[in-house]
Amino acid sequence: MTDNPSTPTPVIPPSQNRRSFLQLLTASSVTVGGVVVACPFLNSLSSQNTTLEQNFVDIDISSLKAGQQITVTWQGHPVFILNRPTEALQALQDASLITRLRDPDSKELQQPSYTQNWHRSIRPETVVLIGSCTHLGCVPTLKLGAKLGSFYNCACHGSRFDLAGRVYKSMPAPYNLPIPPYTYLKPNIIRIGENPKGQNFDFTQIKQI
Amino acid sequence: MTQDPEPHLNQVSSKKHTFSEWIEKRFPVFSTFRREYIQFPMPRNLNIWWAFGAVLCVTLLLMLATGIFLALSYTPSAEEAFASIEMIERRVPSGWLLRSLHMAGSNLFLVFLYLHLFRGLYYGSYKNPRELVWLSGLLLMLMVMMTAFAGYILPWGQMSYWAANVVIQAISSIPFIGEGLAHWLMGGSSPSDLTLHRYFVLHFAMAFFIIAVVFIHVICVHVVKSNNPKGIEPKTKEETLPFYPYYVAKDGVVIVGAIILLVLLAFFFPDLLTNSENYTPANPLETPANIAPEWYFLPFYGILQLIPYKFLGLLLSVGSIMVLFAVPWLDRSPIKSANYRPLYRIALFLLVLSFVMLGIVGKYHSHTGLIWLGRLALFYYYAHFLLILPFSARFELKRTLPTSLLDEKGHK
Amino acid sequence: MVKPIKNVSFLFCFLFTCLFIPLISYAQNKPAYKQYPWSFTGIFGNYDLSSVQRGYMVYRKACASCHSVQYMRYADLQQMGLTLDQIDKIAKTDQILDGKDASGKDLYRAATLVDYLPAPYSNQLMAKSVNAGKVPLDFSRYGMGMGQQADYIMAILMGYQNPPADFKPDQEGMVYNQYFPGHQIAMRSPLTKDGVKYADGTPATIEQQAKDVTTFLSWTAHPHLIERHRIGIMVMIYVAFIAILTLLVKRKVWSNVK
Repeated sequence: MTDNPSTPTPVIPPSQNRRSFLQLLTASSVTVGGVVVACPFLNSLSSQNTTLEQNFVDIDISSLKAGQQITVTWQGHPVFILNRPTEALQALQDASLITRLRDPDSKELQQPSYTQNWHRSIRPETVVLIGSCTHLGCVPTLKLGAKLGSFYNCACHGSRFDLAGRVYKSMPAPYNLPIPPYTYLKPNIIRIGENPKGQNFDFTQIKQI
Repeated sequence: MTQDPEPHLNQVSSKKHTFSEWIEKRFPVFSTFRREYIQFPMPRNLNIWWAFGAVLCVTLLLMLATGIFLALSYTPSAEEAFASIEMIERRVPSGWLLRSLHMAGSNLFLVFLYLHLFRGLYYGSYKNPRELVWLSGLLLMLMVMMTAFAGYILPWGQMSYWAANVVIQAISSIPFIGEGLAHWLMGGSSPSDLTLHRYFVLHFAMAFFIIAVVFIHVICVHVVKSNNPKGIEPKTKEETLPFYPYYVAKDGVVIVGAIILLVLLAFFFPDLLTNSENYTPANPLETPANIAPEWYFLPFYGILQLIPYKFLGLLLSVGSIMVLFAVPWLDRSPIKSANYRPLYRIALFLLVLSFVMLGIVGKYHSHTGLIWLGRLALFYYYAHFLLILPFSARFELKRTLPTSLLDEKGHK
Repeated sequence: MVKPIKNVSFLFCFLFTCLFIPLISYAQNKPAYKQYPWSFTGIFGNYDLSSVQRGYMVYRKACASCHSVQYMRYADLQQMGLTLDQIDKIAKTDQILDGKDASGKDLYRAATLVDYLPAPYSNQLMAKSVNAGKVPLDFSRYGMGMGQQADYIMAILMGYQNPPADFKPDQEGMVYNQYFPGHQIAMRSPLTKDGVKYADGTPATIEQQAKDVTTFLSWTAHPHLIERHRIGIMVMIYVAFIAILTLLVKRKVWSNVK
């Protein structure tokens, strides 16, 4: 093994600073590919079939007595349907209450135009509210009392709303409780998720849930 | 030039400099990376067989990424597992793609693993001083096999259920402790919710243990440096090449080749490696007519079939992997590479043949004609390790080895 | 000097040996029945969506009374080329089980897009009792196995020939089928000529119905085949481009090494 004619070619390490066009092209193509590969991974986290969620819920309110409330689910939100006693309706118009509210006339877009009135509902006695505090989304609880003593109280940070879902001043919640689109199919059947004929309220346009 | 016109520029660059130095001083990541992955000396004559380590690393990362995202949509309960897989396949956006990649990836993982193992056997990469590289590699293989087995149970189809049942029943044949051990592993007397849940956790957790052992394996390689097709250690700097850019470029080509295989399997032949029986939900009352494990377990399953005694079959089946751990001490030849061992080369070829034969037996166990061929293959498998490896060195012709990796006379 | 085996050729020998197993398996399972030129086999295979839709109609008419497709929702039918409105109309005609009333009686309602396709039997025992002791297969994944399985389904559907003179069913209610394993099947021939009226005017011969329903069954098992092949071709082009680049880089990098 002494007659080895081949002498090794000296290996010149390519300059670290000057990478060739070819190497740059390869590196950038691989990077682009890598970014594209990330797409299906992130895509798999997006929700499935959100558009297919049940669009409306029908509720029979014939057995709902004055002072009673039921909670139903519509598009994943808790929806309160409350039958307000006459006394509570009178309280809603009380001047001393109105001065304590942040948005007594429902100026912010938190409800369909057909509920933009003093009682925030189609029929005065029956109110439909999304039961999700506009502060951080906890579900407020109903406290019934005499005269002005009825309100919704949010257990998380103490926000208060009156029985029309209007928020009190200097509370952490910034807006009134939202109202979903709803209509009366029959005198005693409410359909949540559908506007009355001739109305085109889009729930996704509201300020905040 | 006594005056610096733009002193702020200097400041910025010096600040940058000190930041990397600051890190470097506390955690020498930059210098380590430079030493181990840029300047790292590799033998200059490595061939394609040496690229499978890098390919396996990439495959492992693919399996981890797809696995974690699949786990987010998977439900590990006997009641819902099958339906959640169907949900991933049908409704989770890109779920079918992630699952195809995971399934094709798992098959390729085992392909590359067997190739990598064969490379080690052929070129004697287990010999002094690389015994720990070999042992940590075998440990990795066992862990990967365990993970693959656990993963196959997760869809809770017919094959999943019966695979879990058969394997755990096989364990019950161990004398004295077998019954208790099987009952304990299964969490009951037959595969159930509990079994599925623990194999899901095993599958998920094992992936991260594998990464830890991969680190050990790679550190071992970097301490003793890579073997090479000539099986002699490089002595001069001329016999080596820095890892970057030479082997980055070379491994890159093979990795892209592996990706082509992956794309072909995942996009164009997704049915090739799946058993349609596993798309029927698990039914404890009915065993599928043709029950066989995934191809990578077929040889071991074949050994189980060949031996009429349950426990002996289990011993020989597990032993066929365990015997590999002893290979560094069974092989008495000082020559590493099989390129210079003509007898051993033929023996090794027969070993591969008998391994494939055992796999065929595992697949077509019902054909009695295969039994004796299979037993011959099994005999050879053990004879190779226990007889040929220790004694062949005596009969092998003394051959002159090349003196350097630059030696043209040796095979490159 | 013995010339050592070239490494690359050794690799190919090795891979070739490993390929033996699937090859043998293919040779062994070669079917004895007629093979059809399905549009969905091969790497460029695609479903003829109009045939899938016709097949779904055949399924509803002839199969759905016994066989479920329990893992598919109505909304998933979008992928066979129907719009949500069309599916909604179909769904409304189906009644699905929706809990029980106060007295324990089953309640039914019209199906919606998010519902799973209805199951014909409320439990396995009921399914067994009316089908000669066998639960009818679920069709969600029955078409797995592409062309080979499709040929098999086709053979079963077309295999209701007159039984040979010595045919004796092992069990009450079994009928003769030329291609079913054991030649006895609990299912009666499900298809009749013009048993379904196709909206697109295709003549509903038994063979046409069998072809369409087979295509539908293959589609339910591979709902993403079209997308899979489309994306696969794009990925393949990209990877081929990268392969060329890396090969060039490798050659360039190694050009100064002898």
